[in-house]
Amino acid sequence: MLATRCLTGILLALLFAFPAQAESLLDRPPERPYDIVIESGFLKVGTYENFPPYSYLKDGKPTGVDIDIGHRIAEELGVEFRAHWIVPDENLSDDLRNNVWKGHYLAKRRIADIMMRVPYDKKYAYMQDSTGEYMNEQVVLFGPYHQEQWQIAYNPDKIQEVTTIALFQYHPIGVEIDTLPDFYLSSTFQGRLRNNVKHYTNIRAAFDAMDAGEVSAVMGMRAEVDLELHKRPDSGFVAATNGFPAIGKQVWDVGMAVKHTHRQLGYAIEAIVDGMVRDGEIEAIFARHGLRYSMPAFYDEILGVSAE
Amino acid sequence: MRSHTIGKQFAASALALAISMGAQAVTDEDILNDQASPEDIVSYGMGQQGQRFSPIKDLNADNIQFLQPAWAFSFGSEKMRGQESQPMIKDGVMYVTASYSRVYAIDAKTGEEIWQYDARLPDGIMPCCDVVNRGVALYGDKVYFGTLDAKLVALNKDTGKPVWIKTVADYQAGYAITAAPTVVDGKIITGVSGGEFGIVGKVEAYDAETGDLVWTRPTVEGHMGYTYKDGEQVENGITGGEAGKTWPGDLWKSGGAAPWLGGTYDASTNSLFFGTGNPAPWNSHLRPGDNLFSSSRLAIDPDTGKIKWHFQTTPNDGWDYDGVNELISFDYEDGGKTIQAAATADRNGFFYVLDRTNGDFIRGFPFVDKITWAEGLDKDGRPIYNTEDGRPGNPADTQGEKGETVLAQPSFLGGKNWQPMAYSQDTGLFYVPSNEWSMDIWNEPVSYKKGAAYLGAGFTIKPTNDKYIGVLRAMDPKTGEEVWRYENPAPLWGGVMTTAGNLVFTGTPEGYLKAFDAKTGEELYKFNTGSGVVGTPVTWMMDGEQYVSVASGWGGAVPLWGGEVAKVVKDFNQGGMVWTFKLPKDRVASR
Repeated sequence: MLATRCLTGILLALLFAFPAQAESLLDRPPERPYDIVIESGFLKVGTYENFPPYSYLKDGKPTGVDIDIGHRIAEELGVEFRAHWIVPDENLSDDLRNNVWKGHYLAKRRIADIMMRVPYDKKYAYMQDSTGEYMNEQVVLFGPYHQEQWQIAYNPDKIQEVTTIALFQYHPIGVEIDTLPDFYLSSTFQGRLRNNVKHYTNIRAAFDAMDAGEVSAVMGMRAEVDLELHKRPDSGFVAATNGFPAIGKQVWDVGMAVKHTHRQLGYAIEAIVDGMVRDGEIEAIFARHGLRYSMPAFYDEILGVSAE
Repeated sequence: MRSHTIGKQFAASALALAISMGAQAVTDEDILNDQASPEDIVSYGMGQQGQRFSPIKDLNADNIQFLQPAWAFSFGSEKMRGQESQPMIKDGVMYVTASYSRVYAIDAKTGEEIWQYDARLPDGIMPCCDVVNRGVALYGDKVYFGTLDAKLVALNKDTGKPVWIKTVADYQAGYAITAAPTVVDGKIITGVSGGEFGIVGKVEAYDAETGDLVWTRPTVEGHMGYTYKDGEQVENGITGGEAGKTWPGDLWKSGGAAPWLGGTYDASTNSLFFGTGNPAPWNSHLRPGDNLFSSSRLAIDPDTGKIKWHFQTTPNDGWDYDGVNELISFDYEDGGKTIQAAATADRNGFFYVLDRTNGDFIRGFPFVDKITWAEGLDKDGRPIYNTEDGRPGNPADTQGEKGETVLAQPSFLGGKNWQPMAYSQDTGLFYVPSNEWSMDIWNEPVSYKKGAAYLGAGFTIKPTNDKYIGVLRAMDPKTGEEVWRYENPAPLWGGVMTTAGNLVFTGTPEGYLKAFDAKTGEELYKFNTGSGVVGTPVTWMMDGEQYVSVASGWGGAVPLWGGEVAKVVKDFNQGGMVWTFKLPKDRVASR
């Protein structure tokens, strides 16, 4: 009796061990379409690491709006949420390749079932390379849930009001290095603001510099800026209302991505997130983190509302 | 004429080493005499000047058909990719690295493994340019190499056990090490690699015995260099004197210029020669100015880390023309005078001959068939830019539309990339592994990075000719004349070696180790190693026979980039081997 049970145990162990081993022999990302995700009981949600307010660790716990939305998706699917942290590469195509469809060459089996904070842009999705190939055909971009935009915050002790960005011919402004605000401020007006653009590794560091009086303003994404303002209720720092002439892209929709062979998973998640956008749950999540929220432009026509 | 003081200094430290470590230790003298001593290879470059010239004549143009495989060794595991290493040989042991920061000691007679060391790489590491490693340094009783997570590791040469491990830079900030370290007078000297993450390049020297930092020299203007004495950090002058001379705003703080390909050393001038990478950010319109010391060659004093002179090949680089390619010291006669020169074949398509005592420009000429970004070089070696359509447009001028496409030749992978060339003291020629390709580059408004709108550059690499991309060229450094060329279908990505046996060796991505007549370029020998050769061949004598070794295993930067070059290389299989050949004794005509 005991022997039989033992044997069964070993057999079971072998059975369970085998698929995992087979995967590692092949050294390629596991195929996890909808059925397998549900069966496995978990969903690997890809979010950028160390990227407040969207996704970051706070007291050792994954937190942020994208994490919260990921948790809700997992909950609605009836599976456990598992964080998959993404180290950003040079551009979005790299991140999609490394985390959604192919895996990074140093860790080919480390892949997310779904990636958050993927700009939702048809032009991008159908971009072709010089040989006519669709560059992003390995992934499906879907489910816009947020509209992001550029934003300046300033120190009113130094600047009365940001009427136009011409002001930064005279005042130092902090940006995250190698971002659109960096390029924009460094090159606009024939480079006349260039010497006042101060570079930091992220928006937090730029705000720390504003605390220290090194810069009079900071430009970043609105949610990033809102979080830093929210963390400094007594600083007196103010969100500006200026425009950004000729910036190229001032607002953009943000959604998700899955591997193109996992569309069924995408449809299921799209339905969940669509409901959350429509009934105000996403907006409530943003509010909980102290952030303003804009509905994606995708919904403008559908709902007949204007998203700011 | 070698400097006497340096000779004495080395003799003294060599003696000290011999006493403390026994006869098997690698001494400064061994390293200094590496080129002249056929029994070992104890420097990257087969001699610290990096000439990759062997005086051995046993194997020559007349008997190379008898070169035969002696053994092959697999690096093992599934990590079959990008074997760019140069093997080292000492006392019948081969020390060779493999991709993913692995090191092997192999019995050079039998090909049997003695030990293997795998660096434990952290999860989530994102090295910018593949997983390659280019080789070890040997000194005393230790083997040194750099890792993808930017550590310098010292291993015991007999056991492969780590003696010390030092963090050279933070991999999370975007740093890595892929080059072989250089050894000068008891110091292990290394540069760093780094992508476009706002890093600052630096060259550092570590004490070979203890691993203590001896000096650090940032390669971007405005950053303070330091020396270290008894744990005390001492200021040693700001690189370039002060910040802001050739950079706008605070961009010098994140200027790039990574010296990622390591350096060569010239004992006659006591100078290290390191090349530096492109400046950051990639968009050159944001940083008007020369952006020193990006895309440059630096002569550095190995004792103090001071920069003696610099020569910038691509000021205000806008094409990603790294200036890292090796600077090879060589002497030549001109009107009865010996010229102490040094030469380099740059990414930007120009071949430069410099005075290695002061960095003065002697002459320069294109070594590729066509250069579009510049019309030539002026009397000081500075490029005369093509101001019409040579430089990619300013992304700020792009208003939501695809910007104008600029054709730039060479492509950003360069007229010559990392793969080292060789200089023959017999023929007086440089053998340059080059590539003929261009790139279309345009501003791409539909671009995103880390969840945000971005302005990227779109580009695609295109072969210039239908039939070939790679060209192995014999270049005369005195005239700029191309003496001969060998055309290869796939881009050349492996190093070159030349010998006194009138031979030039290199590998091809098609898998061949090839040998050519050094004078005529006639192809004399080829052997298929089973995967693309992107390593650098070496040769040495053992038990009275001449051996040749080369690592095989397709990879490196070429397969990471698509476009029309991908069509040429997509069917090449990856690999991970080192192949060793020998000429049997009885095939040597005269001894």
